[in-house]
Amino acid sequence: METLIRFFSDLFHLSPDGVLPLTLAYSVCIGSLLGFITVYAMFAIWMERKVAAHIQIRYGPMEVGGWHGWAQSIADAVKLLFKEDLIPDGANKFMFWIAPAVVFCGVFSGFIAIPFALGVQIVDIHLGLFFIVCIASVEVVGVIMAGWASNSKYSLFGAVREAAQVVSYEVPAAVALLVPILIVGSFRLGDFNAWQEEHGWLVFHNPFVIVAALIYFIASLAGCKRAPFDLPEAESELVSGFHTEYSGMRFSFFFLEEYASMFVAAALVATLFLGGWTLPFVNVSAWPVPFGIVILLAKIFAVIFLQMLLRWTLPRLRIDQVMAMGYKYLLPWGMLCVVGTALFETMGWRWLPL
Amino acid sequence: MEALELYAVDDRADVYTEELKLNLGPQHPSTHGVLRVELRLDGEIITAARCDIGYLHRCAEKIGENVSYLQFTPYTDRMDYLSSMNNNLAWSLTVEKLLGVEAPPRAQWLRVIMAELNRIASHLIAFGTYGIDMGAATPFFYAFRERESIMALLERPSGARMLYNYIRPGGVAHDIDERWLPDVLAFCDEFEKRWAEYNTLLTTNKIFIERTKNIGVIPRQMALDYGLTGPVLRGSGVKWDLRRDVPYLKPYDEIEFDIPVGEGTHGTLGDCWDRYWVRMLEMMESIRIIRQAAVRVPTGDFVEKAMLKMYKSPLKPAAGEAYMRCENPRGELGFYVVSAGGASPIRCRARGPSFCNLSVLDALLPGCMIADGVAIIGSLDIVLGEVDR
Repeated sequence: METLIRFFSDLFHLSPDGVLPLTLAYSVCIGSLLGFITVYAMFAIWMERKVAAHIQIRYGPMEVGGWHGWAQSIADAVKLLFKEDLIPDGANKFMFWIAPAVVFCGVFSGFIAIPFALGVQIVDIHLGLFFIVCIASVEVVGVIMAGWASNSKYSLFGAVREAAQVVSYEVPAAVALLVPILIVGSFRLGDFNAWQEEHGWLVFHNPFVIVAALIYFIASLAGCKRAPFDLPEAESELVSGFHTEYSGMRFSFFFLEEYASMFVAAALVATLFLGGWTLPFVNVSAWPVPFGIVILLAKIFAVIFLQMLLRWTLPRLRIDQVMAMGYKYLLPWGMLCVVGTALFETMGWRWLPL
Repeated sequence: MEALELYAVDDRADVYTEELKLNLGPQHPSTHGVLRVELRLDGEIITAARCDIGYLHRCAEKIGENVSYLQFTPYTDRMDYLSSMNNNLAWSLTVEKLLGVEAPPRAQWLRVIMAELNRIASHLIAFGTYGIDMGAATPFFYAFRERESIMALLERPSGARMLYNYIRPGGVAHDIDERWLPDVLAFCDEFEKRWAEYNTLLTTNKIFIERTKNIGVIPRQMALDYGLTGPVLRGSGVKWDLRRDVPYLKPYDEIEFDIPVGEGTHGTLGDCWDRYWVRMLEMMESIRIIRQAAVRVPTGDFVEKAMLKMYKSPLKPAAGEAYMRCENPRGELGFYVVSAGGASPIRCRARGPSFCNLSVLDALLPGCMIADGVAIIGSLDIVLGEVDR
């Protein structure tokens, strides 16, 4: 970010504190981020279809674009763009119109705090982790707007389920995230990478971190509405939940949001527990920046692959079971992890000879 | 909120709540066709339910009064379209009873194999769609792989993949080719391995068990009171199977097989899991029956010679009536035919298992959550083609 501001201020011979270089720098960042999310989402959707197909003894998309249907998502996106813009009768037009944007904004904002490599981060927020967790819950507001404005009972049910589920699962997720915070002593995401570069991956730091990582992963599945927690859009019960009435471009925003939030959740798992852009036994921060990005993306896609495997293997939970799982199992175990880690840290214990 | 159709139930409570009326279907992914269920909901809890059927009514019984006895066989295919062979069988047996003829031994044994193969195919659909109802899409594709092999097997003698019109009054329509029986046995070996796969994928899944145990419990007496049949009845622990109790084909007397019944393995006896598990076990029993039958198919005619002559002119049974019932994959399918001596019956009535089993739904749904309602509808395994006929 600072690099970009300096570049623009030098280019136009302006003061680096001025408004114009700042605006230009932000525009470039946001534009490239939007492009990245779109390309990533298209790839992830293609990947999801391929993973699903191969689990289900099919091939999935094979025709569009030649090699294994790589252009299928592009074709689908173009189709969605050209579809008629339908707003159902009786819908609250403004809310119906704004809901996909609100949903997308929440997740999109989370991207700006992710450190992709050393120095490759749009805004280096000191409370970066806190920011991502908080801004992600803005999405719920959009979903409730969508469900309410659609004037469909299925949408309303999906939205209410989403609200109940996401709000409940933020608690165990946040508690699980306290564990790495306790160890590293910072909310700044860059610090996690630096710490893990020095001390090795956090997930192996003590036995409680492994449990905390699992808890966060499960809670993030619920937060992303991924199976087995896909109740807000449970297609066998609620047709497709809160986006039942959406089509075309607006629907694609919900789709984009789902995959983007998967990315953010996977990025947090990778950054906080799996070393981020660092590798064990080597000094990645001394390497060129693209290496860090590739390492982080590889870890993120490994986590996303796991999310997909789970989605196509497991049946769906019922809403009371989802709640019970969050409050009766994940939350107490998360608390235990925090206490255990605090104990480990204060006593200075090590469980692995590292 | 005024746009939603809401009913006030109790405005004196501290928190103002309203009852929500929700239409499940007729266009809905989990109603297995065009079933419409009108739900009254208190939040996620169903307080009252009412089934609305008839969207697929095609006057099958009335058609039966206007076509000849042989012409009606294809119409029975289209009732419970997932178990056409069994429907053909029930109709053929009824007409044979009316005429007082019996199919030759070879046809009887072939009928057993066909009916059991089709039973497996039908239970596979029940298994696969039940997975989808539970949110697991993958078992469906595994089930369809095996169903595909069964359809390929049944296509060879009958020429059709789904609506066979193969078992006809007097015997079967065509003889099998000489490679058919070995291929059926090879399929049996293959299927046993696949069946174990289904269990690791879905049956033993913790989430699946949690979703189905203690849900939609039909106690033994309730099952009998509602006249339920088939796996739904056996899931409640009633050991009643026409193949054993009223053998309508001679081979069923000579073959060894068990009648799986629900045992309340994971919860209460007669819950969704029991019904599901009875279907799974029945597939293996069908494999056992096919294995024994395939090595014992005698040589000889595949259709009664006396009947063959009657095929040339319209079949005119003497005045009288006949009722025959068969154990279909979904329960007892019975046909009641009244003949006045003409070329077509004056009354042709079907007692469909899906229709009778569906009657219990209204009583099961209240008190459940929406997701349980979907699980219950799936566990009854209805085919709307036969509910509405």
